[in-house]
Amino acid sequence: MTIGARALRLEDERFLRGEGRYVADLKLPFAYEAVIVRSAHPHARMTFVSLEAAKSLDGVIDIVTAADLPAGLTAIPCRIPCHGDMAPFLQHVLARDVVRYVGDPIAVVIATSRAIAEDAAELIDITWEPLPPVPDSVAALNPDSQKLHPAGNIASQWTFDIGNVDAEIATAAAVVRDTFSIQRHSAMPLETRGLLAHYDRARHSLEVFGPTKVPHTNRALLATMLKMPEGSIRFIEPDVGGSFGARGEFYPEDFLIPWVALRIGKPIRWIEDRYEHFSAINHSREMRFEVVAAANAAGMITAFDVRLVSDLGAYIRTHGDVVPSHASASFPGPYRIRNYRVHAIAALSNKTPSGTLRAPGMFEANFARERAVDLLADKLNIDRAEFRRRNLIPPADLPWAVGTESVKRPTIFDSGDFPAVLERALSEFGWDKPLPKSEGPIKRGRGLAVLVEPSGLGPFEGARIEVDQHGNVQVFSGCSSQGQGHETSLAQVASAVLTIPIERITVRHGDTGLIPFGGGSYASRTAVMSGHAVYAAALTVKEKAIRTVAQKLEVAEHDLQLIDGRIELLGAKEMGMTLGSVARLLLPGNPELMPPPPVANIVDNDGLTSTSYIRAVPGGTSVFAVHLADVAVDEETGKIRVERYLVACDVGTAINPMIVEGQIVGGVVMGLGGTLLEELAYDQQGVLLTGTFADYLLPSVHDAPPITAIVIEKEKSPTNPLGIKGVGEVGPSGVAAAVGNAVAHALGAGARLSTLPLTPERILFARTPGAA
Amino acid sequence: MTRTTLTINGRRAQFDTEPRQSLADAIRNELGLTGTHLGCEHGVCGACTILLDGEAVRSCLMLAVQAEGASITTIEGVSLPHAGLTELQTAFRARHALQCGFCTPGMVLALHALFTNNPVADEDAIREAISGNLCRCTGYQPIVEAALDVSRANQDRLSQKT
Repeated sequence: MTIGARALRLEDERFLRGEGRYVADLKLPFAYEAVIVRSAHPHARMTFVSLEAAKSLDGVIDIVTAADLPAGLTAIPCRIPCHGDMAPFLQHVLARDVVRYVGDPIAVVIATSRAIAEDAAELIDITWEPLPPVPDSVAALNPDSQKLHPAGNIASQWTFDIGNVDAEIATAAAVVRDTFSIQRHSAMPLETRGLLAHYDRARHSLEVFGPTKVPHTNRALLATMLKMPEGSIRFIEPDVGGSFGARGEFYPEDFLIPWVALRIGKPIRWIEDRYEHFSAINHSREMRFEVVAAANAAGMITAFDVRLVSDLGAYIRTHGDVVPSHASASFPGPYRIRNYRVHAIAALSNKTPSGTLRAPGMFEANFARERAVDLLADKLNIDRAEFRRRNLIPPADLPWAVGTESVKRPTIFDSGDFPAVLERALSEFGWDKPLPKSEGPIKRGRGLAVLVEPSGLGPFEGARIEVDQHGNVQVFSGCSSQGQGHETSLAQVASAVLTIPIERITVRHGDTGLIPFGGGSYASRTAVMSGHAVYAAALTVKEKAIRTVAQKLEVAEHDLQLIDGRIELLGAKEMGMTLGSVARLLLPGNPELMPPPPVANIVDNDGLTSTSYIRAVPGGTSVFAVHLADVAVDEETGKIRVERYLVACDVGTAINPMIVEGQIVGGVVMGLGGTLLEELAYDQQGVLLTGTFADYLLPSVHDAPPITAIVIEKEKSPTNPLGIKGVGEVGPSGVAAAVGNAVAHALGAGARLSTLPLTPERILFARTPGAA
Repeated sequence: MTRTTLTINGRRAQFDTEPRQSLADAIRNELGLTGTHLGCEHGVCGACTILLDGEAVRSCLMLAVQAEGASITTIEGVSLPHAGLTELQTAFRARHALQCGFCTPGMVLALHALFTNNPVADEDAIREAISGNLCRCTGYQPIVEAALDVSRANQDRLSQKT
């Protein structure tokens, strides 16, 4: 059985040899290079004085501004249901007259080399008239502030009000109130974005290399914006150096580069540089929670009352308000709470627009809720693990509907045994074991967080399987891959059904020319959804093969079985055919099985192939996880060292436990970046201050603690036949929560730890009243 | 345009570049060796690490013309396409020490340089050797484990000899 095997990845060899093919590694003859000219001003009125000097530079082919765009071109639409009409806040592919963030695209320079294009960009003559900035959400909500858009500075706001929150707070034995802030940071994949677009005018065919995440969705969007048939556009995903939610959304460049290729009739290549990436890729996470949490004398949490303000930047992009939406819908987490109120606001400011980042809304909400839960437990003088034990949703209450919804889908926790996972985590970590002694200024602390991470969202997924005459298998998946190992995982699923080793199975993905529909890879959905689709397609291939052999050998189907890639007659092994031979029998026009010409339309003689599309369960499937951290905090320097870390979760079924553990361990370190280091800093004028990895710190090997991943495969998801729950976002989701709680524990009662990242400065001032 | 002559992966190569072209760009664009990746182009991420006269360096921080006469090894020169992977590369695979693969060439070369100088490097030395190489996927733990596997194997071989 290849499902559950720690199979070594099929992708690895090419990456280890430097033979991966990322978008910057691709070339087409006679291609030109494009450079995007961006605003250096956060908010300003802009006039192009002259492009002449730039255009006359040797090697410059063209320069386009908003004035050159096709008449009637729409803004980039939001692709997700929102809590309001986002039309007034959407971003156009090039700013016209007014820029609203540092990085706002204003022109594209096309030249024979990137260096020349960059030189030309410097020669463009523009006048800027600065406008008053809206530097943050506090300013955005101030009615006296500058309006960013005619419709104002609030994109949407909404409320959920479940049970009777006011009554529970009024009668509670303990109430805590605090404000928690999560800083703006971003996915920062190690490979920047890029596109290579080629238009063949004679055939009206546009090929775009570089898309990822949701290629089919984005192709449809580009087709609409360019008024081209979808079939005339092919999106081809190369190898991709990480996404984590940000890469692969439809950005201004995703229109501009293909459109310039159409306009000029030559291949156009654009490779983002890192400095550009900082201001251009979706930012995420900037959110503030004002939380009131209440509990009764028995130590049961009775109510959460939350006000949530999210700063989404200058425009609404493809994700709309999904990040605060998820946070508002899932805030109560794995607790049995029936009194919950949240008022959420999606505010706009003069910063880069926002989108998702691995565990969108969850990393933020888990930090705020789990800190508040610790404060409640401390107030009631109950052990923090015991407090959670009393409040977890018991297995009998699953599926559990929170009573909220996000993107028009109900928030439902489908299955699990939360208490069992908690106990396993506590015992593996040694929750009750004494901490190493605090020495001098080094204080030690232990922290815990529990959470539910949604996965497997999105309406459908698809796969086609083709077996060739030699028994080799190709799987065409609607997913995309940014490094997770889907080529291996999906091959393992196909292998489990077809009994063919994964080395003979090739998984192709991210290419709209190979499969007509695909949902893509996001929301920890590929193992759940694409795994399901591949499984379904493999089963129908198997059925078709058995049916064919039964017909050929004139035996009953139920007397045949598939073993090691060969269909055999039960009790007479020598009677049988390999899948390759079956594929040959089923070749269109092959007369072996169907003597010509009984019918012209050879319905079933389309090779040994099958296509399956599967529908999702609207609420998806969720993973319960426990995060535990031991930290050492230096009270004199404010430095935090995470000494050990553990994540335990029930994933239902792990296709490849090695890949699952890799997702968790890597995800934890990404979460540590967001907890301790990473911040996209802006000044009060709205100028982005972090533009390099020297001032935006990613975790290095010295920041990575020993991490244990406990992967439990007990409670199967009822949403898919393999029982899988998606694990891609479990890693980062609880890190700020567990580490924040551990640091607070180390510093002792009275320390305020409510603002991320937990920088040395904040640690030093954590005990100062009024500071946070 | 300036002519530069150097040795790359054991072969002599000659190309013409503008003096302002970085060595990393020249390796990728003039020599077609795209396994040298550009993650930041300002010397922090380590994805463009190469061996220059045996030393692990960032090729984005040098101009191509400065490499005149140098001997360079890129990831493509570590193991030949039709030969097996090196012990270090094999350990990376066994430990799941790579996901998206973008930092991988730099990591492999940084550790390759370490083991050339110190075949039995301990964990501290391993962490130090890759402290200038960023990985966004793996959390580093499996990379350190893979390197420790190699170090232990080297140790075993050395103790068998004595």
